[in-house]
Amino acid sequence: LNEADLINQARQGSDAAWEMLVQQHQEAVFRLAYLLTGDASDAEDIAQEAFIRAFRALDRFDSARPWRPWILSIAANLARNRRRSLGRYFANLHRFALAAPDDAIDPEGEVIEQRQAQALWRAVRRLELNDQEVIYLRYFLELPVEETADVLKVAPGTVKSRLHRALNRLRALLGDDFREAFDG
Amino acid sequence: MAEQHPDTSHELESSVQDSARAFSYPPTPDIASAVRNRLTRNHPSHYRRLAWVAAVALLVMAALLAVPEARAVVQEILRVGGIQIFLVEPTATITPTPVPSRTPRPTLAPEPTPVTSVLDLPGETTLDEVRNQVSFDVLLPTYPEDLGTPDRIFLQDLGGDVVTLVWLEPENPGQSRLALQILDERVVGSKLEPNDFEMVSVDNRTAYWLTGEHVLAFYESSASDFIRIINDNVLIWEVDRITYRLETDAMLEEAVRIAESLQ
Repeated sequence: LNEADLINQARQGSDAAWEMLVQQHQEAVFRLAYLLTGDASDAEDIAQEAFIRAFRALDRFDSARPWRPWILSIAANLARNRRRSLGRYFANLHRFALAAPDDAIDPEGEVIEQRQAQALWRAVRRLELNDQEVIYLRYFLELPVEETADVLKVAPGTVKSRLHRALNRLRALLGDDFREAFDG
Repeated sequence: MAEQHPDTSHELESSVQDSARAFSYPPTPDIASAVRNRLTRNHPSHYRRLAWVAAVALLVMAALLAVPEARAVVQEILRVGGIQIFLVEPTATITPTPVPSRTPRPTLAPEPTPVTSVLDLPGETTLDEVRNQVSFDVLLPTYPEDLGTPDRIFLQDLGGDVVTLVWLEPENPGQSRLALQILDERVVGSKLEPNDFEMVSVDNRTAYWLTGEHVLAFYESSASDFIRIINDNVLIWEVDRITYRLETDAMLEEAVRIAESLQ
C-alpha cells in the first residue's frame, strides 16, 4: 500500500491503516519535537498531540501530497506554541545553555561523533527559531529541500537562503574554530 | 557579515551534516499505541458515555447538595463567576441517596448531545453582530501580538448570553489555537472532574487553571442542557460579574498573559 492508499483507508475508518501511518512517521515527529523542545517528555506529548490533530483533520488533507511535511509542520507548530510558555522556555534555556544534556548520552558509550553532535546541538539551540528549524529539518532529519519547504510553508529557494543565513550565524557563534568546537 | 570563502562554507556545512547525522536521540516512545488509546477515548461512544456520566453527576450533585451528611463525597466545590467546579473524590462510593421530590434541574431527559470541538458550537455569527446583541463589552486579547481578531464567533443563549471567540491555528485552520468564552451574569455552568486545578491570579483577581479532559455543562438553559467535552487547558476568571473562560493548549504563564491583555 502506498501512502495515499493508507490515508484514504484511514479516512474510511481503517484503524490498521492509520496505525501504519503513525508508525511510519512517529520517529521523525518525535525527533523534531525533541530537537525543538530539548525534553523527551515534552516531545512525546507533542508527537501524540500532532497525530491526534492530524487524525481529526485527515479529511482536509490532500492525499496527492506527501504526508510527512504535513505532520512535521503540525508538530513544529505545537512545539512553537509550547515555547511561547516563557516559564518552560527559560527553564529549558537554563538547562541547556551551559551544561551538556545528560539524558541523551550514555557516558560509558560516548563516542567522539556523539560529543560533536551534542556540541552542534547546543550551538544550534542558541540560534533563532527559524534558523533552528531549517537546520533540524535539513541536516538532522535529512529532509530534501522540497519537503523542508513544505514543512516551513516557504519556497525551496527560501529554504536555501535560510540555510545559508543559519550557517553563517552558526559560524559567527562558533567563531572560526568551528572544527575545534565540534571536537567538543 | 563578510562573505565566507566557498571552501570554508562547504566545510562547515559538511561538518554540520556529519555531526547532525551522529546525533543521539532518546529512544522513540510507542507513540502509535498512545495515540490509539487517546483516539479510542475520544471516540464518539466515549463522549456519549462522558455526557451520560455528566448528566448523572449533575443529578447526583443536586441530591448530594440537598442532603448535608452526603456532602463529604464531594471533595470540593469551587466557584468563579458563573462557573461551579465540582471536584469529586475519585474513590468515593456514593450510597444511593433519596432524591428530593423537588430536585431542581438538571434532569436526565433528554440526554444532552455533547459537543467535542469548539468549532462545532451552534450560533455562529460575526463580531459586529455579537457586539450589537450582548449587553457587555466584548473585549479582545492584545497578546500575542500576531493574534488579530477572532476567526470564528459564536453566540448562544444558555440562560444568558454566551459569546465564544475562536482563533484558528494559522497553519492548520481546522484547529483552534485559542478560544475565549464570555458568559453574562445570568449563565450558570458546571465543570466536572477536571484532572487537575490550581488557584491562580489574573489582574490580582482569583482565577482557576484547569487541566485535562473534563466536562463543561450548562444546565439552566431554557431549551435543553448543553454539554461540552473540554480537552484543552482552561483559565477561568471573573470581572464585573462577567465570567471569562480561556481555552488554550498554552501553559499557565502564557494563558495568564493573554487573559491580562484583554482590551
